[in-house]
Amino acid sequence: MINEIGHYALVLALATSLIVSIVPLIGARRKDAAMMALAPMGSIVMFLLVLLSFAALTWAYVVSDFSLRNVFGNSHSMKPMIYKISGVWGNHEGSMMLWLLILVLFSAMVAFFGRNLPDTLRANVLAVQGWITSAFTLFILLTSNPFLRLNPAPAEGQDLNPILQDPGLAVHPPLLYLGYVGFSVCFSFAVAALIEGRIDAAWARWVRPWTLAAWTFLTAGIAMGSYWAYYELGWGGWWFWDPVENASFMPWLAGTALLHSALVMEKREALKIWTVLLAIMTFSLSLLGTFLVRSGVLTSVHAFATDPTRGIFILALLMLFIGGAFALFAWRAPMLKSGGLFAPISREGSLVLNNLILTVATATVLIGTLYPLVLETLTGEKISVGAPFFNMTFGLLMIPLLIAVPFGPMLAWKRGDALGALQRLYGAAGLALMAGLVLYYIENGGPVMAVFGIIIAFWGMFGALTDLWHRANFGKLPFNVAWRRLVGLPRSAFGTALAHFGLGVTVLGVVMVTTYETETVLEMKQGMAADAGGYSLIFDGIRQANGPNYTEEQGHFTITKGGVVVADTWSSKRLYTARQMPTTEAGIVTFGFSQLYVSLGDPTTSGGMVVRIWWKPFILCIWGGCLIMMIAGFVSLSDRRLRVGAPTRRARPAKLAMEPAE
Amino acid sequence: MLLWIILAALTAAVAAVMLVTLARNARTVRPGRAGEVAVYRDQLAELERDREQGLISGEEAEHAKAEIARRLLAAAGEADKDLSTSPRSGMSFTAIVVTLLVPAMGLSVYLSLGRPDLPDQPLAARLENPGNNMALLVAKAERHLAQNPNDGSGWDLLAPIYFRAMRLEDAEMAYRNAIRLLGTSAQRLTGLGETLIARSDGIVTEDARLAFEESLRLQPNDPRARFYLALALEQAGKRAEARAAFEALAKDSPPDAPWMELLQQHIAANGGTRVEPSLTQVPRGPAAGDVAAAEGMSDIDRQAMIRGMVEGLASRLQEEPDDLDGWLQLIRSYSVLGDKEKAIEALRTGLQAFPASGNEGRQLVGLAREVGLVVDGVTQ
Amino acid sequence: MTRKQKRLTIIAGGMSFIIAAVLLVMFAFSQSVAYFFMPSDLATTEVSPGTRIRLGGLVAEGSVKRGEGSTVTFSVTDGSGTVPVSYTGILPDLFREGQGVVTEGAFDAMSHSFVADTVLAKHDENYMPKEVADRLKEDGVWQHGEEATTQ
Repeated sequence: MINEIGHYALVLALATSLIVSIVPLIGARRKDAAMMALAPMGSIVMFLLVLLSFAALTWAYVVSDFSLRNVFGNSHSMKPMIYKISGVWGNHEGSMMLWLLILVLFSAMVAFFGRNLPDTLRANVLAVQGWITSAFTLFILLTSNPFLRLNPAPAEGQDLNPILQDPGLAVHPPLLYLGYVGFSVCFSFAVAALIEGRIDAAWARWVRPWTLAAWTFLTAGIAMGSYWAYYELGWGGWWFWDPVENASFMPWLAGTALLHSALVMEKREALKIWTVLLAIMTFSLSLLGTFLVRSGVLTSVHAFATDPTRGIFILALLMLFIGGAFALFAWRAPMLKSGGLFAPISREGSLVLNNLILTVATATVLIGTLYPLVLETLTGEKISVGAPFFNMTFGLLMIPLLIAVPFGPMLAWKRGDALGALQRLYGAAGLALMAGLVLYYIENGGPVMAVFGIIIAFWGMFGALTDLWHRANFGKLPFNVAWRRLVGLPRSAFGTALAHFGLGVTVLGVVMVTTYETETVLEMKQGMAADAGGYSLIFDGIRQANGPNYTEEQGHFTITKGGVVVADTWSSKRLYTARQMPTTEAGIVTFGFSQLYVSLGDPTTSGGMVVRIWWKPFILCIWGGCLIMMIAGFVSLSDRRLRVGAPTRRARPAKLAMEPAE
Repeated sequence: MLLWIILAALTAAVAAVMLVTLARNARTVRPGRAGEVAVYRDQLAELERDREQGLISGEEAEHAKAEIARRLLAAAGEADKDLSTSPRSGMSFTAIVVTLLVPAMGLSVYLSLGRPDLPDQPLAARLENPGNNMALLVAKAERHLAQNPNDGSGWDLLAPIYFRAMRLEDAEMAYRNAIRLLGTSAQRLTGLGETLIARSDGIVTEDARLAFEESLRLQPNDPRARFYLALALEQAGKRAEARAAFEALAKDSPPDAPWMELLQQHIAANGGTRVEPSLTQVPRGPAAGDVAAAEGMSDIDRQAMIRGMVEGLASRLQEEPDDLDGWLQLIRSYSVLGDKEKAIEALRTGLQAFPASGNEGRQLVGLAREVGLVVDGVTQ
Repeated sequence: MTRKQKRLTIIAGGMSFIIAAVLLVMFAFSQSVAYFFMPSDLATTEVSPGTRIRLGGLVAEGSVKRGEGSTVTFSVTDGSGTVPVSYTGILPDLFREGQGVVTEGAFDAMSHSFVADTVLAKHDENYMPKEVADRLKEDGVWQHGEEATTQ
């Protein structure tokens, strides 16, 4: 009965979403308060219904109700409870349910926190959210319904892909979807502004927290996915330019651009049209990502859902939303008034540069991802666009951006002083140069590009610190006064500096790993030793072990430095018996920010094992930097400015609004 | 019935919430741009703070302040205008839409997709009360054994069930566990031997032979063990010894034993002539074990025979795929043999000859559903 | 600078940046795109030694031989053609005989065998890389798919 209630709740959510899609829109046109009021209430009802539905599905997983086809196909009664629950979104139907749940969660949050939005804007925004909700609910009900039943019910489920039985992957999709779907709010705000034909600085401020939240979650999701691939797949890579990864990276790039352009709009009312366009593009890329992953047009690690009918349905949705939004844009954008002016060298100018580079970079990633698909569809020719393409284009494009990053916050609005900014940054440049050369010396040379890359990374980090230094006016004011000023700085200033600092840290990790990583593949017999990164690994032999649902061969390695044992690790090859599926569990040892990564290959004829050893210098910086960026996002979100319009700040009585401005 | 009451209540609640919202807000008016004004005020305040802290220069602050003030004035002005527009009530029309759309759509979509007749079937509850469902009984036993892996009699019970379901790997594990925990018995050893033979496609492996020898030591004259030992000799190419063993078994067997015909075939294959069983030497009583043994033996043999036939049928259908009855038979045979993969493959290939949209195709799909291959056609 | 000049500066800067990016993308494409071949294609198309390509097909049964150290040789087949491949390194978890594989590398000028530096056995549930599955289906060699269970 719970199953059927869940199913029915989903159907009711569809009906409600249709009402929310249409009625408030009419209400906004006719300035009818009653009709507009349906939007927030309907959004909250929608959220509760989808939540009920999702809870029913989760319950079915918890109690192993195999009369649901979805549970039968993706669960097993003997699985640990946490994987039973994460199994809900470990498959296509369930992950679409999660997508929907997060979508309506965002709608409900807009309804709840948006009390200070103008009624018409809120009604329009929620109506657009309602369209997306109806489309996806319909998609789930018609092509990916998790509530379809089996009669008679099987006695046992078919398990979950063992590679997906991992705590990292249990939280990865929710984070990623919080990011993806969070951008739907920006999209809805943009479309609502186009419908109203009016957009201003206040709009940008209302959009900013949503952009920031989505961006923060997406950062976390991508970083986590990358780390998962690194330690779980056993290939030692942390980013493959795999289409599925690109699918999440493109919205991130566009979202980063949006974050910055919304800033210009909020402060100066400039870049209005561009910001609207960017908001539409960002969510379009999120939808495209969903399409790429869910339709099965790609095949990769994530390809556990393939069904052409679904693909066509999603493609139709994609065309409807993206095409519709762009058509609306083409029609309405010319009606938007353009805003403030600024000189090329100014804060605005630097943010335009940021947007330009990020958008072009997004475009190159998009081309590299879609070109093989398009070519194959048109000519049947199959090509692969791999890491070399992306490293060459994307990598090169990032260089001017990274050089420019520290300048941005130093420039004044409207008209900036490039020379003055440069003078302030002398210190950062000097320190970066020094740090780069020191690291270059420690690593015993290397390609010239490496030292260049390292200097750029440190430049980013020190540049971010310099920003705070100057804002607090250290050096000119007495230390304790400056310190008080520093503490009193708005949170958003800290957010900016932290995010830029984190970017530098990530770049440092990327540069170090790509240039100084060593990879050794060799055949090892018991007692043999191999060197990597200044450490020596001794292979102690292999033992057999059994896990709850797998058997594994574990190789033991002792790691010494200068003859002293410093660590040891197990590296293993697992075979999940139910599906006869082998996986590699790499042995990873951390030294500071660097890691030794050992994975086992096959036994050789002469009785040894093929072993692959990587030395990954500073690899943890890659994810450490992402973590810092994520924290920066939360710090910015906690800035009091963004809470204007939130219920924590008591809504001002309406009459206040009519007082003349001082 | 309870389900329908809950669904009705849910529908009513949703419709009611929406209607109340409509009714409550029918006459409330909110100035359109209060929020905007609040934002600009806040921007001004922030600017003031920044200037006090010296974060921006005085000139810059003045410029910014002028800009913000312009926006504030514009917004406040329009706020006035918004107030003057009197709202109309869309109550009646929207109310009708809400009251009709929610239940009508909910009901119609749900009726076409849902299965209100099916109760929940959480596994724990089903295991409490498994009835005659073999799969559930097995699942129950498996759960019991997962928690009490040292319950030998559990393994002992489960092993032949696994064997009959052709879950040979599990059967071998179960037999081995039973032997480890309860010690050897003729029953378990012959069971294990048969499992091993089935796993190696009818070849009597060394492991299997040892099991039968041990079993024969525990229970001399067990016809099943003797038969397989003779078969092992035959497969090893020791024809004379094999014939002698088969003949000896035939002599010791009652004339109406079900395995008699099979024995005679093997004797003939090894160059012997029909052997008449001696009527005087009927083995000890009609022991239940012997009856089971006979069934077990003919089981294996039948399996082998069916497999041979099925392979023949499959290869014939490769040549002449236009044989609907052949495909039906092939799918059924594979599913009887418990070979689900091959059955699915047969279904697929069959559907290439007879598309699922056609009448014949539908027969194929119907059969597949009947034997539990197509599990997701339930709602179609 | 006047308003117009400011605007022009920004637009010109932006355009030249975009043009540079387009040229970069085109250059990168010409440098780093690998074409996909099946063994039977190589009978009709000449691939000069040293050109990077992707070679896909099934790993021929019984062809996997582990040589000295960590070098492995195997053959990739598509039913009508067979190409010997050598690879040094660890084969992916899902590499097995009779299953689909995609290798990336180039032909060796001396030995005329294919030297792979990457071996991918990324797959869907049926252990088949997409490119390989598409082609084998066209050629009718491979007839195993997920459709049966979702009819």
